Amino acid sequence: MPEETIKKNLVDKGVSRRDFLKLSGLLAAAMGMQLPPLQESGLPMSLGTPVRGAQTEHAILHALETKMRLPVIWLEFQDCTGCTEAVSRSVSPSLTNLVLNTLTIEYHETLSAAAGYQVEQAKQEAMKKYAGQYILVVEGSIPLANDGAYCVIGGRTALEHLKEAASGAAAIIAVGNCAAYGGLPKAKPNPTDAKGVWEIITDKPVVNISGCPAIPEATTGTIAHFAIFGTLPELDNLNRPKTFYGKTVHDRCLRRPFYEAGKFALSFDDEGAREGHCLYKLGCKGPTTYNACASIKWDQGLSFPVQSGHPCLGCSEPNFWDGGGFYQGQSAPLDRPTVAAVGAAVGAGAALGIGAALVNQSRKKAKKGGS
Amino acid sequence: MNSQAVLEFARGPFFYFALLFMLFGLAFRLFSVISLGWSRDRVSPMGSKTKGVVVTFLKAFLIWPFIPWVKNTFNRNPLIYIGGGLFHLSLFVVIILGTPHMLVWKSLIGFGWATLPLPIVDWMSAIGIIAMVILLINRRIHPVLKLISGPAEFFAWLFVFLPMLTGYMMTHHIGGSYEALYARHMITVDVLMIWIPLSRISHFVFYFFSRAIHGQEFGKRGVAV
Repeated sequence: MPEETIKKNLVDKGVSRRDFLKLSGLLAAAMGMQLPPLQESGLPMSLGTPVRGAQTEHAILHALETKMRLPVIWLEFQDCTGCTEAVSRSVSPSLTNLVLNTLTIEYHETLSAAAGYQVEQAKQEAMKKYAGQYILVVEGSIPLANDGAYCVIGGRTALEHLKEAASGAAAIIAVGNCAAYGGLPKAKPNPTDAKGVWEIITDKPVVNISGCPAIPEATTGTIAHFAIFGTLPELDNLNRPKTFYGKTVHDRCLRRPFYEAGKFALSFDDEGAREGHCLYKLGCKGPTTYNACASIKWDQGLSFPVQSGHPCLGCSEPNFWDGGGFYQGQSAPLDRPTVAAVGAAVGAGAALGIGAALVNQSRKKAKKGGS
Repeated sequence: MNSQAVLEFARGPFFYFALLFMLFGLAFRLFSVISLGWSRDRVSPMGSKTKGVVVTFLKAFLIWPFIPWVKNTFNRNPLIYIGGGLFHLSLFVVIILGTPHMLVWKSLIGFGWATLPLPIVDWMSAIGIIAMVILLINRRIHPVLKLISGPAEFFAWLFVFLPMLTGYMMTHHIGGSYEALYARHMITVDVLMIWIPLSRISHFVFYFFSRAIHGQEFGKRGVAV
């Protein structure tokens, strides 16, 4: 029932005042909210007038107390449900709880208890009731080939479902690389002609929470941002929230000093790998991958791929499946000419060169003979 | 078109084309010169021509660079000798012993090698860039060089300088996002690769052939009797 405030819903569920304050602070942190200038400067707070509302968590607190609950419709197309899995096992239980339980997920194929016509009907009703207010979350790419026949739900194509749900959405959040940029289904040769949401829906704001899967805090944090402020966070040129995608994995990597020092692991079981050296030579895509893996990390901040010894695959970037081999150096060219192609180029050059030389020689001889 | 897409183009199809064009062009130019043939010995030489070739390369790489003052080429214009020498050394260190470049070679030829730490490569590239600027200034003010320098010389300078500059900017994250800097670097490299067979920069291949020809002439040491 989105008519009640977020706070009321939480209080009804038995959330204490202390936990409510904690949640506000957590949300402020998850959304990367800046401190007021005085606090950020490091000067003593006594210099300024301490305003209760000036602190970020208090801004959140106020919003939670006054804002109405936000209806969310979550669609899944050509996906693996990995992003839903990630959100449902998020490191921030209260944040996940906020999104999954408090914000009113009106429709979610995987999480809904109901199935079949009943749940489809519930979705239709929700879209009608909250037209222009709900957040549409999309997981998975949309196939366009063969009139969208590769992904049909309830007898209708993914494209139809998306267009219908997008028409009444206040904003769209594309979760995961598939929904954002096409992901794995779009990998060459892209048999289903898979597309990301923002390639299809151009008349609504689309936020891309890319990743494979998307970092759950980025998903829930962005939804919470909209729920609390009624606006979308600041986005980069690929429509990703700058809070989570403002820095590269390389920028924040704990192995970065080894990169600078030229200490690299050359294989997965050598001395360098055991010493935790940089994985750049093993194909790490960290330098061109914008994501918060190295700072937020996974599993309650326990680790992330590079920390546990695997190079970054660049999963938050468009076309990462076709962006060169996963274990090929970042600087290596994407297409390596075959021996036949090199042979053809050199052979053709040599043949033409010899031909040119012969022509020159015969001209020279003719000139000599003629003079 | 965003930087990522430009980068994908510059690392993908554009690099592919530039590489094959360079190989094609170099093969064309090399064979069009070699196929003209060279004069044969009318009498047997006294010395060994093979030895002459080996000695000339050993001198060029292992002796003269370390005692340059015995050569007139150094004494008459030390600036060009030192500037040019440092520039070539810088290119060698950066392109062969820099980690990212080694990985390019590895992806193309199938094997890699140990590389130098980033700060050393970084300083060498800075030295190379400074050397190029000094050499350009010298070319603009030197009375003889001024006379013999045309557009070809300045284009050659520019097309070599740009990859060095963009590479340095990329390492230091100056002037944009990493992938934008990377895209710029790759485009300038691709343009350079296309320009190589069309210009005198192809000397990095021709040098070894011309030096070998000179070496065997030096090795003859007169006529066998």
